[in-house]
Amino acid sequence: MTENQTNSLCNCCARPFNFNDIFCNSCGYPLNGTEQEQKNHISNRAIKEIDLVEFKQSIEKARTSLYWIAAIIGLSAIFEAVTAESEEILFASLVVNVILIGAFLAFAVIGKTKPTTALIAGLSVYVIIILLNAILEPSTLVRGIIFKVIIIGYLVKGLKAVLEADKLKKELNIN
Amino acid sequence: MLEVGLFFIIEIFCCATALIIDEPSLKNLFVIDVIMAIATILFFGYRWKENKTILKWPAFSLIKLLTFIGITIIASIGVSYSVDFLNRVVFEKQMGFYSIFAFHQYGTYLMFLSVALYPAIFEELAYRGYLMQTLLKVVDEKEAIYISSILFFIIHFSLVSVFWLLPFALFLGWLRIKTKTIWYGVFIHFFFNLTACVLDIAPLSDIIKLLF
Repeated sequence: MTENQTNSLCNCCARPFNFNDIFCNSCGYPLNGTEQEQKNHISNRAIKEIDLVEFKQSIEKARTSLYWIAAIIGLSAIFEAVTAESEEILFASLVVNVILIGAFLAFAVIGKTKPTTALIAGLSVYVIIILLNAILEPSTLVRGIIFKVIIIGYLVKGLKAVLEADKLKKELNIN
Repeated sequence: MLEVGLFFIIEIFCCATALIIDEPSLKNLFVIDVIMAIATILFFGYRWKENKTILKWPAFSLIKLLTFIGITIIASIGVSYSVDFLNRVVFEKQMGFYSIFAFHQYGTYLMFLSVALYPAIFEELAYRGYLMQTLLKVVDEKEAIYISSILFFIIHFSLVSVFWLLPFALFLGWLRIKTKTIWYGVFIHFFFNLTACVLDIAPLSDIIKLLF
Protein backbone atom coordinates (compact mmCIF):
# COMPACT_ATOMS: atom_id res chain seq x y z
CA MET A 1 0.00 0.00 0.00
CA THR A 2 1.21 3.47 -0.78
CA GLU A 3 0.83 6.25 1.74
CA ASN A 4 -2.62 7.89 1.71
CA GLN A 5 -2.91 11.07 -0.25
CA THR A 6 -2.44 14.11 1.85
CA ASN A 7 -3.98 16.66 -0.49
CA SER A 8 -7.69 16.81 -1.41
CA LEU A 9 -7.10 16.63 -5.17
CA CYS A 10 -6.93 13.34 -7.07
CA ASN A 11 -3.42 12.51 -8.32
CA CYS A 12 -4.88 11.37 -11.62
CA CYS A 13 -7.55 13.88 -12.65
CA ALA A 14 -6.90 16.69 -10.15
CA ARG A 15 -10.53 16.76 -9.02
CA PRO A 16 -11.37 17.12 -5.31
CA PHE A 17 -12.20 14.06 -3.23
CA ASN A 18 -13.21 13.27 0.34
CA PHE A 19 -10.69 11.56 2.55
CA ASN A 20 -13.20 8.76 3.20
CA ASP A 21 -13.40 7.92 -0.51
CA ILE A 22 -11.79 4.67 -1.66
CA PHE A 23 -12.00 5.59 -5.35
CA CYS A 24 -12.01 9.03 -6.96
CA ASN A 25 -15.63 9.89 -7.80
CA SER A 26 -14.53 11.59 -10.97
CA CYS A 27 -12.07 9.16 -12.63
CA GLY A 28 -12.17 6.02 -10.51
CA TYR A 29 -8.54 6.38 -9.36
CA PRO A 30 -7.90 3.91 -6.51
CA LEU A 31 -7.11 6.43 -3.77
CA ASN A 32 -6.21 3.72 -1.28
CA GLY A 33 -4.94 1.21 -3.83
CA THR A 34 -1.42 -0.18 -4.13
CA GLU A 35 1.23 1.78 -6.00
CA GLN A 36 0.91 -0.70 -8.89
CA GLU A 37 -2.88 -0.27 -9.04
CA GLN A 38 -2.51 3.50 -9.07
CA LYS A 39 0.15 3.38 -11.81
CA ASN A 40 -2.01 1.03 -13.88
CA HIS A 41 -4.96 3.36 -13.57
CA ILE A 42 -2.93 6.38 -14.64
CA SER A 43 -1.38 4.58 -17.63
CA ASN A 44 -4.80 3.21 -18.73
CA ARG A 45 -6.20 6.70 -18.55
CA ALA A 46 -3.27 8.07 -20.54
CA ILE A 47 -3.85 5.46 -23.26
CA LYS A 48 -7.52 6.40 -23.43
CA GLU A 49 -6.62 10.08 -23.67
CA ILE A 50 -4.31 9.31 -26.60
CA ASP A 51 -7.17 7.34 -28.24
CA LEU A 52 -9.41 10.33 -27.68
CA VAL A 53 -6.96 12.61 -29.50
CA GLU A 54 -6.90 10.15 -32.43
CA PHE A 55 -10.71 10.02 -32.51
CA LYS A 56 -10.85 13.81 -32.55
CA GLN A 57 -8.51 13.82 -35.55
CA SER A 58 -10.80 11.37 -37.39
CA ILE A 59 -13.82 13.54 -36.59
CA GLU A 60 -11.99 16.60 -37.87
CA LYS A 61 -11.12 14.80 -41.13
CA ALA A 62 -14.74 13.74 -41.54
CA ARG A 63 -15.85 17.32 -40.95
CA THR A 64 -13.38 18.55 -43.56
CA SER A 65 -14.78 16.03 -46.04
CA LEU A 66 -18.16 17.77 -45.66
CA TYR A 67 -16.52 20.97 -46.93
CA TRP A 68 -15.06 18.95 -49.81
CA ILE A 69 -18.48 17.63 -50.76
CA ALA A 70 -19.82 21.22 -50.78
CA ALA A 71 -16.89 22.27 -52.98
CA ILE A 72 -17.41 19.41 -55.43
CA ILE A 73 -21.14 20.16 -55.68
CA GLY A 74 -20.19 23.81 -56.30
CA LEU A 75 -17.86 22.83 -59.13
CA SER A 76 -20.40 20.50 -60.71
CA ALA A 77 -23.02 23.28 -60.37
CA ILE A 78 -20.79 25.60 -62.40
CA PHE A 79 -20.30 22.85 -65.00
CA GLU A 80 -24.06 22.21 -65.16
CA ALA A 81 -24.73 25.96 -65.48
CA VAL A 82 -22.36 26.25 -68.42
CA THR A 83 -23.74 23.19 -70.21
CA ALA A 84 -27.43 23.69 -69.34
CA GLU A 85 -29.68 23.21 -72.36
CA SER A 86 -32.48 25.47 -71.20
CA GLU A 87 -33.17 28.14 -68.63
CA GLU A 88 -35.59 25.83 -66.81
CA ILE A 89 -32.89 23.16 -66.32
CA LEU A 90 -30.42 25.85 -65.29
CA PHE A 91 -32.85 27.25 -62.70
CA ALA A 92 -33.79 23.83 -61.31
CA SER A 93 -30.16 22.68 -60.98
CA LEU A 94 -29.20 26.03 -59.45
CA VAL A 95 -31.90 25.79 -56.76
CA VAL A 96 -31.01 22.17 -55.92
CA ASN A 97 -27.25 22.80 -55.87
CA VAL A 98 -27.50 25.95 -53.75
CA ILE A 99 -29.62 24.09 -51.18
CA LEU A 100 -27.17 21.16 -51.17
CA ILE A 101 -24.09 23.36 -50.86
CA GLY A 102 -25.77 25.27 -48.04
CA ALA A 103 -26.71 22.00 -46.34
CA PHE A 104 -23.20 20.53 -46.45
CA LEU A 105 -21.62 23.79 -45.30
CA ALA A 106 -24.15 23.90 -42.46
CA PHE A 107 -23.35 20.28 -41.53
CA ALA A 108 -19.63 21.08 -41.50
CA VAL A 109 -20.17 24.09 -39.22
CA ILE A 110 -22.62 22.24 -36.95
CA GLY A 111 -20.10 19.39 -36.80
CA LYS A 112 -17.93 21.53 -34.55
CA THR A 113 -20.46 21.29 -31.71
CA LYS A 114 -22.79 18.46 -32.78
CA PRO A 115 -20.55 16.01 -34.68
CA THR A 116 -22.92 13.02 -34.48
CA THR A 117 -25.79 14.95 -36.03
CA ALA A 118 -23.59 16.54 -38.69
CA LEU A 119 -21.89 13.32 -39.76
CA ILE A 120 -25.04 11.17 -39.82
CA ALA A 121 -26.88 13.88 -41.78
CA GLY A 122 -23.95 14.49 -44.13
CA LEU A 123 -23.40 10.80 -44.81
CA SER A 124 -27.11 10.15 -45.37
CA VAL A 125 -27.59 13.08 -47.74
CA TYR A 126 -24.38 12.25 -49.66
CA VAL A 127 -25.32 8.58 -50.11
CA ILE A 128 -28.82 9.57 -51.22
CA ILE A 129 -27.45 12.03 -53.78
CA ILE A 130 -25.29 9.23 -55.21
CA LEU A 131 -28.27 6.85 -55.17
CA LEU A 132 -30.66 9.30 -56.86
CA ASN A 133 -28.08 10.26 -59.48
CA ALA A 134 -27.49 6.54 -60.16
CA ILE A 135 -31.23 5.99 -60.59
CA LEU A 136 -31.49 8.88 -63.07
CA GLU A 137 -28.22 8.08 -64.84
CA PRO A 138 -26.52 4.78 -63.84
CA SER A 139 -23.13 5.82 -65.27
CA THR A 140 -22.79 8.48 -62.53
CA LEU A 141 -22.25 5.69 -60.00
CA VAL A 142 -18.80 4.96 -61.43
CA ARG A 143 -17.95 8.60 -62.12
CA GLY A 144 -15.53 9.87 -59.48
CA ILE A 145 -15.81 6.55 -57.65
CA ILE A 146 -12.45 6.93 -55.87
CA PHE A 147 -13.43 10.33 -54.51
CA LYS A 148 -16.81 8.98 -53.41
CA VAL A 149 -15.26 6.00 -51.64
CA ILE A 150 -12.71 8.20 -49.85
CA ILE A 151 -15.38 10.67 -48.72
CA ILE A 152 -17.72 7.93 -47.51
CA GLY A 153 -14.76 6.24 -45.79
CA TYR A 154 -13.87 9.44 -43.94
CA LEU A 155 -17.49 10.03 -42.93
CA VAL A 156 -18.00 6.47 -41.67
CA LYS A 157 -14.67 6.52 -39.82
CA GLY A 158 -15.58 9.91 -38.36
CA LEU A 159 -18.96 8.64 -37.24
CA LYS A 160 -17.40 5.63 -35.53
CA ALA A 161 -14.87 7.96 -33.91
CA VAL A 162 -17.63 10.23 -32.58
CA LEU A 163 -19.39 7.30 -30.92
CA GLU A 164 -16.16 5.89 -29.49
CA ALA A 165 -15.08 9.35 -28.33
CA ASP A 166 -18.41 9.84 -26.55
CA LYS A 167 -17.94 6.53 -24.73
CA LEU A 168 -14.40 7.44 -23.75
CA LYS A 169 -15.44 10.89 -22.58
CA LYS A 170 -18.03 9.29 -20.32
CA GLU A 171 -15.44 6.85 -19.00
CA LEU A 172 -12.93 9.63 -18.42
CA ASN A 173 -15.67 11.90 -17.08
CA ILE A 174 -14.75 14.83 -19.34
CA ASN A 175 -16.95 17.02 -21.53
CA MET B 1 -26.02 2.41 -34.50
CA LEU B 2 -25.71 -0.39 -37.08
CA GLU B 3 -29.29 -1.30 -36.28
CA VAL B 4 -30.37 2.29 -36.94
CA GLY B 5 -28.36 2.24 -40.19
CA LEU B 6 -30.09 -0.96 -41.34
CA PHE B 7 -33.50 0.47 -40.49
CA PHE B 8 -32.77 3.66 -42.40
CA ILE B 9 -31.47 1.75 -45.45
CA ILE B 10 -34.77 -0.19 -45.59
CA GLU B 11 -36.71 3.09 -45.33
CA ILE B 12 -34.61 4.72 -48.06
CA PHE B 13 -34.92 1.66 -50.29
CA CYS B 14 -38.72 1.71 -49.99
CA CYS B 15 -39.02 5.47 -50.53
CA ALA B 16 -36.59 5.43 -53.47
CA THR B 17 -38.57 2.56 -55.03
CA ALA B 18 -41.76 4.60 -54.72
CA LEU B 19 -39.94 7.50 -56.34
CA ILE B 20 -38.58 5.64 -59.37
CA ILE B 21 -41.79 3.84 -60.30
CA ASP B 22 -42.82 5.50 -63.55
CA GLU B 23 -46.53 5.09 -63.08
CA PRO B 24 -47.37 5.01 -59.39
CA SER B 25 -50.39 2.82 -58.74
CA LEU B 26 -52.40 2.09 -55.65
CA LYS B 27 -51.10 -1.48 -55.63
CA ASN B 28 -47.45 -0.36 -55.63
CA LEU B 29 -48.15 2.25 -53.00
CA PHE B 30 -49.88 -0.33 -50.83
CA VAL B 31 -47.03 -2.85 -51.14
CA ILE B 32 -44.41 -0.24 -50.21
CA ASP B 33 -46.52 1.02 -47.28
CA VAL B 34 -46.94 -2.54 -46.00
CA ILE B 35 -43.18 -3.28 -46.23
CA MET B 36 -42.35 -0.07 -44.36
CA ALA B 37 -45.00 -0.76 -41.72
CA ILE B 38 -43.72 -4.30 -41.16
CA ALA B 39 -40.12 -3.03 -40.92
CA THR B 40 -41.17 -0.42 -38.38
CA ILE B 41 -43.10 -2.92 -36.26
CA LEU B 42 -40.22 -5.42 -36.36
CA PHE B 43 -37.58 -2.88 -35.37
CA PHE B 44 -39.81 -1.36 -32.72
CA GLY B 45 -40.84 -4.75 -31.38
CA TYR B 46 -37.26 -6.07 -31.35
CA ARG B 47 -36.60 -3.92 -28.27
CA TRP B 48 -40.14 -3.98 -27.00
CA LYS B 49 -39.26 -3.65 -23.30
CA GLU B 50 -37.31 -0.45 -23.88
CA ASN B 51 -39.65 0.98 -26.50
CA LYS B 52 -43.06 0.24 -25.01
CA THR B 53 -42.73 3.11 -22.51
CA ILE B 54 -43.28 5.70 -25.22
CA LEU B 55 -46.58 4.08 -26.19
CA LYS B 56 -47.95 5.12 -22.83
CA TRP B 57 -49.55 8.53 -22.53
CA PRO B 58 -48.52 10.02 -19.19
CA ALA B 59 -50.13 13.30 -18.12
CA PHE B 60 -52.74 13.25 -20.88
CA SER B 61 -54.32 16.65 -21.38
CA LEU B 62 -57.33 17.08 -23.65
CA ILE B 63 -56.89 20.86 -23.72
CA LYS B 64 -53.27 20.51 -24.76
CA LEU B 65 -54.21 18.01 -27.45
CA LEU B 66 -57.02 20.19 -28.85
CA THR B 67 -54.76 23.25 -28.82
CA PHE B 68 -52.10 21.34 -30.75
CA ILE B 69 -54.70 20.10 -33.25
CA GLY B 70 -56.03 23.64 -33.79
CA ILE B 71 -52.56 25.07 -34.36
CA THR B 72 -51.71 22.11 -36.61
CA ILE B 73 -54.71 22.71 -38.87
CA ILE B 74 -53.84 26.41 -39.25
CA ALA B 75 -50.18 25.56 -39.91
CA SER B 76 -51.14 22.91 -42.45
CA ILE B 77 -53.35 25.38 -44.34
CA GLY B 78 -50.43 27.85 -44.43
CA VAL B 79 -47.98 25.19 -45.59
CA SER B 80 -50.38 23.82 -48.25
CA TYR B 81 -50.83 27.28 -49.75
CA SER B 82 -47.12 28.06 -49.61
CA VAL B 83 -46.20 24.77 -51.27
CA ASP B 84 -48.90 25.24 -53.90
CA PHE B 85 -47.63 28.78 -54.55
CA LEU B 86 -44.04 27.55 -54.85
CA ASN B 87 -45.01 24.77 -57.23
CA ARG B 88 -47.16 27.03 -59.44
CA VAL B 89 -45.05 30.18 -59.54
CA VAL B 90 -41.49 28.92 -59.19
CA PHE B 91 -41.64 25.41 -60.65
CA GLU B 92 -44.67 26.00 -62.91
CA LYS B 93 -46.39 22.73 -62.03
CA GLN B 94 -49.24 21.53 -59.88
CA MET B 95 -48.83 18.71 -57.43
CA GLY B 96 -51.41 16.74 -55.49
CA PHE B 97 -52.03 13.34 -53.95
CA TYR B 98 -55.57 12.86 -55.18
CA SER B 99 -54.70 12.03 -58.82
CA ILE B 100 -53.37 8.57 -57.76
CA PHE B 101 -56.58 7.76 -55.87
CA ALA B 102 -59.16 9.60 -57.98
CA PHE B 103 -60.11 6.70 -60.27
CA HIS B 104 -60.99 4.33 -57.42
CA GLN B 105 -64.56 4.26 -56.13
CA TYR B 106 -63.23 4.59 -52.58
CA GLY B 107 -60.38 6.88 -53.68
CA THR B 108 -61.07 9.57 -51.11
CA TYR B 109 -61.09 7.11 -48.20
CA LEU B 110 -57.98 5.39 -49.50
CA MET B 111 -56.23 8.75 -49.75
CA PHE B 112 -57.09 9.59 -46.15
CA LEU B 113 -55.81 6.18 -45.06
CA SER B 114 -52.62 6.30 -47.08
CA VAL B 115 -51.72 10.00 -46.74
CA ALA B 116 -53.14 10.90 -43.34
CA LEU B 117 -53.54 7.85 -41.12
CA TYR B 118 -50.68 5.59 -42.22
CA PRO B 119 -47.85 8.17 -41.93
CA ALA B 120 -49.24 9.51 -38.68
CA ILE B 121 -49.00 6.10 -37.05
CA PHE B 122 -46.04 4.44 -38.71
CA GLU B 123 -43.77 7.45 -39.31
CA GLU B 124 -44.23 8.52 -35.72
CA LEU B 125 -43.63 4.98 -34.51
CA ALA B 126 -40.53 4.77 -36.71
CA TYR B 127 -38.91 8.20 -36.23
CA ARG B 128 -40.14 9.60 -32.94
CA GLY B 129 -40.55 6.09 -31.57
CA TYR B 130 -37.96 3.52 -32.52
CA LEU B 131 -35.30 5.83 -33.98
CA MET B 132 -35.29 8.41 -31.18
CA GLN B 133 -35.45 5.75 -28.51
CA THR B 134 -32.42 3.98 -30.01
CA LEU B 135 -30.50 7.20 -30.61
CA LEU B 136 -31.04 8.29 -27.02
CA LYS B 137 -28.79 5.42 -25.94
CA VAL B 138 -25.78 6.96 -27.69
CA VAL B 139 -26.48 10.69 -28.01
CA ASP B 140 -28.11 13.36 -25.88
CA GLU B 141 -31.73 14.50 -26.29
CA LYS B 142 -30.92 17.47 -28.52
CA GLU B 143 -28.85 15.39 -30.92
CA ALA B 144 -31.52 12.67 -30.99
CA ILE B 145 -34.07 15.31 -32.03
CA TYR B 146 -31.77 16.74 -34.72
CA ILE B 147 -30.73 13.37 -36.17
CA SER B 148 -34.23 11.87 -36.26
CA SER B 149 -35.59 15.10 -37.82
CA ILE B 150 -32.95 15.22 -40.54
CA LEU B 151 -33.45 11.55 -41.38
CA PHE B 152 -37.22 12.09 -41.40
CA PHE B 153 -36.74 14.99 -43.80
CA ILE B 154 -34.40 12.98 -46.03
CA ILE B 155 -36.81 10.07 -46.59
CA HIS B 156 -39.38 12.47 -48.01
CA PHE B 157 -37.01 13.19 -50.95
CA SER B 158 -38.23 16.77 -51.23
CA LEU B 159 -35.58 19.47 -51.01
CA VAL B 160 -38.13 22.23 -51.51
CA SER B 161 -40.01 21.09 -48.41
CA VAL B 162 -37.03 21.97 -46.23
CA PHE B 163 -38.72 25.19 -45.05
CA TRP B 164 -41.60 23.36 -43.36
CA LEU B 165 -40.76 19.66 -43.12
CA LEU B 166 -37.61 20.11 -41.07
CA PRO B 167 -39.18 22.52 -38.52
CA PHE B 168 -42.21 20.21 -38.35
CA ALA B 169 -39.99 17.20 -37.60
CA LEU B 170 -37.96 19.19 -35.05
CA PHE B 171 -41.17 20.22 -33.30
CA LEU B 172 -42.49 16.64 -33.21
CA GLY B 173 -39.13 15.43 -31.88
CA TRP B 174 -39.08 18.10 -29.20
CA LEU B 175 -42.66 17.28 -28.24
CA ARG B 176 -41.85 13.58 -28.00
CA ILE B 177 -38.99 14.32 -25.60
CA LYS B 178 -41.01 16.79 -23.51
CA THR B 179 -44.13 14.63 -23.22
CA LYS B 180 -42.40 11.23 -23.19
CA THR B 181 -45.02 9.84 -25.58
CA ILE B 182 -45.49 9.64 -29.34
CA TRP B 183 -49.27 10.13 -29.16
CA TYR B 184 -49.35 13.94 -29.37
CA GLY B 185 -47.12 13.57 -32.43
CA VAL B 186 -49.41 10.96 -33.96
CA PHE B 187 -52.43 13.27 -33.63
CA ILE B 188 -50.57 16.34 -34.87
CA HIS B 189 -49.15 14.41 -37.84
CA PHE B 190 -52.59 12.98 -38.64
CA PHE B 191 -54.38 16.34 -38.58
CA PHE B 192 -51.58 18.04 -40.51
CA ASN B 193 -51.81 15.50 -43.34
CA LEU B 194 -55.60 15.28 -43.12
CA THR B 195 -55.89 19.05 -43.65
CA ALA B 196 -53.57 18.79 -46.66
CA CYS B 197 -55.75 15.98 -48.07
CA VAL B 198 -58.95 17.97 -47.59
CA LEU B 199 -57.41 21.02 -49.29
CA ASP B 200 -56.26 18.78 -52.14
CA ILE B 201 -59.83 17.69 -52.80
CA ALA B 202 -61.58 20.98 -52.07
CA PRO B 203 -59.94 24.43 -51.97
CA LEU B 204 -60.36 26.43 -48.78
CA SER B 205 -62.70 28.94 -50.46
CA ASP B 206 -65.10 26.10 -51.37
CA ILE B 207 -65.03 24.76 -47.83
CA ILE B 208 -65.75 28.22 -46.38
CA LYS B 209 -68.69 28.65 -48.80
CA LEU B 210 -70.01 25.24 -47.81
CA LEU B 211 -69.77 26.01 -44.12
CA PHE B 212 -71.22 29.53 -44.16
